[in-house]
Amino acid sequence: MPRVSGPALAILVAVPALAAGQVSVQGGLLVGRAEHRVVDAGTLVAASGTLFGGALAVTMGERFQIHGEALGGPLTSAATPSLEDHDVAEAQISGGMKVRPWLILESGLSFRSFSNSLARQHWTTWRIGAETRVPLGFENVTAVLRGYWIPLVSVSGLSSPDVGLAAGVGVDWRGRRLDISARYTLERYDFAPSNGAQRLEELSTFRVRVGMWWPRTGRAKHSA
Amino acid sequence: MRHAVLAGLLLVLPGPAVAQGNTADQLEQAARYHAALDVERELVLLRRIISPNSPFVVTHEQRVLAYKYLGAALVVLGQRDSGIVYFQAALERDPFVDLEPQKFTPAELAAFSDAKRLTFGLGIRAVAFDTIDPRTERLGFTVLTTHAADLRVELRSADAQAGVVLYQGITDGPRELRWDGLLADGHLAATGRYELLLSGVSQLTHRPDSARLYFSIQQDHAPLEDTLAALRPEDLLPEQHPAAMARTELFKGLGIAAAALVIPRTVANGQLHGGGRTFADGIAVTASVAGIGGFIFRQRHREIPANIAANAERRAQRAAANGAIRDRNQTRLAQARLIVAPAAGVGP
Repeated sequence: MPRVSGPALAILVAVPALAAGQVSVQGGLLVGRAEHRVVDAGTLVAASGTLFGGALAVTMGERFQIHGEALGGPLTSAATPSLEDHDVAEAQISGGMKVRPWLILESGLSFRSFSNSLARQHWTTWRIGAETRVPLGFENVTAVLRGYWIPLVSVSGLSSPDVGLAAGVGVDWRGRRLDISARYTLERYDFAPSNGAQRLEELSTFRVRVGMWWPRTGRAKHSA
Repeated sequence: MRHAVLAGLLLVLPGPAVAQGNTADQLEQAARYHAALDVERELVLLRRIISPNSPFVVTHEQRVLAYKYLGAALVVLGQRDSGIVYFQAALERDPFVDLEPQKFTPAELAAFSDAKRLTFGLGIRAVAFDTIDPRTERLGFTVLTTHAADLRVELRSADAQAGVVLYQGITDGPRELRWDGLLADGHLAATGRYELLLSGVSQLTHRPDSARLYFSIQQDHAPLEDTLAALRPEDLLPEQHPAAMARTELFKGLGIAAAALVIPRTVANGQLHGGGRTFADGIAVTASVAGIGGFIFRQRHREIPANIAANAERRAQRAAANGAIRDRNQTRLAQARLIVAPAAGVGP
């Protein structure tokens, strides 16, 4: 049985939807706050900052969506510059399939880089999880709950963490063309103890996205 | 035994037939006597016919004919007034009775004419079984007044208070009326029982009189289509959210807020003392506001616009289908023929 690669599968899914005119595209701007906390060798280092980025989502038919986003910004640990300050840049791509009107299965890759003037650390993760969407009382207002397991994490200079989890919650408002969403996301990584010390790391973000759909429809759609 | 019964029946059954035949024979014989001016014998026969003790069955028509000839015979005998009385008796029973000029003398005709002036009666000739196409044919009625009268002829459904007036005015003698099958509202007469009502006032005696004729009409047309039944509640989508919907929206919003508060306290590692609780609190506040807002919104707006629109579309489709059916039925009704038959009267 021939193997079908991810891009090929996406094309196989996208082409019929394109032919049927069921493709919509969403582009948006991201702005948010991020907090990066690391405990290594008993020392807690916390840094936070404002991130900016963009997102692009392609929805095919009623069931499939491919979502990509990129964002970055400086994270500082104190009012004055220090060696703990660093920049974060992240790009991720994910695909989702709606299995129930309220449930979407998702999987995606994420590439993240922490860097400062001394070093750069690359993260590559693969996650799998689900997103549930709960319509709230207003028309086109939806609550979103997400949970992911991150089984594959590759970190330059470190062994893979034993635990990789992510969870998120947010609220979406979808107009006829414009949509606005607010998301809280938490990623947790627990590395294996080494020499009596354990490295713990987490990244929490609060993102606000303002996006536009094309073509314009009055129907709420799955957005990342 | 069987032969005895048959023999008895053969003896009994011809009785009425023979009796009727005897009356008819006697009337024929009386007419022949009248033509031969043998009025004495004629009177004997006619008085036997009209006598309550007549052994024969005398029909209404035969009795009218007997009165007519009695009146004529008495006029021939010079008993003009008595003759007029019998003419009146004949006219009261059948206003259509008349003397044929070729069979009766001018004196008899004059006496009969006087009788008609003294007697006021209205008559309608019975309708026969008939089928007419109202687009090209008319139904004929013959009405009559014994002398000049102000007459009104109205045709109406037996259970209606008003109908269509076929004639109104002064008339004397017979009058032919024609009806196109339409009622006062311009519609073709529906299947049912109808009456032709004559009412008149004599212009000589000022006496009123009336007469009725009942007949039935049946529309003969292609079978009509049934319209679509009314939409039942189960055929329609609910147009309002249930009353509990508002509370559900509140609980959903608060549930999402709770989830936002729980994530940094459960998923996050406690040793990091973080988890972005401030961020989560922001989402919790947002979700709570959305839940409370949704609660208020749903209490004030329980309608479901999509379902309302879908139901309206279903109703419109049904109305359009019924409209088309009604149009087709109207076309068939417009091509209907009317089957007319005499009827006994109102009621089953």
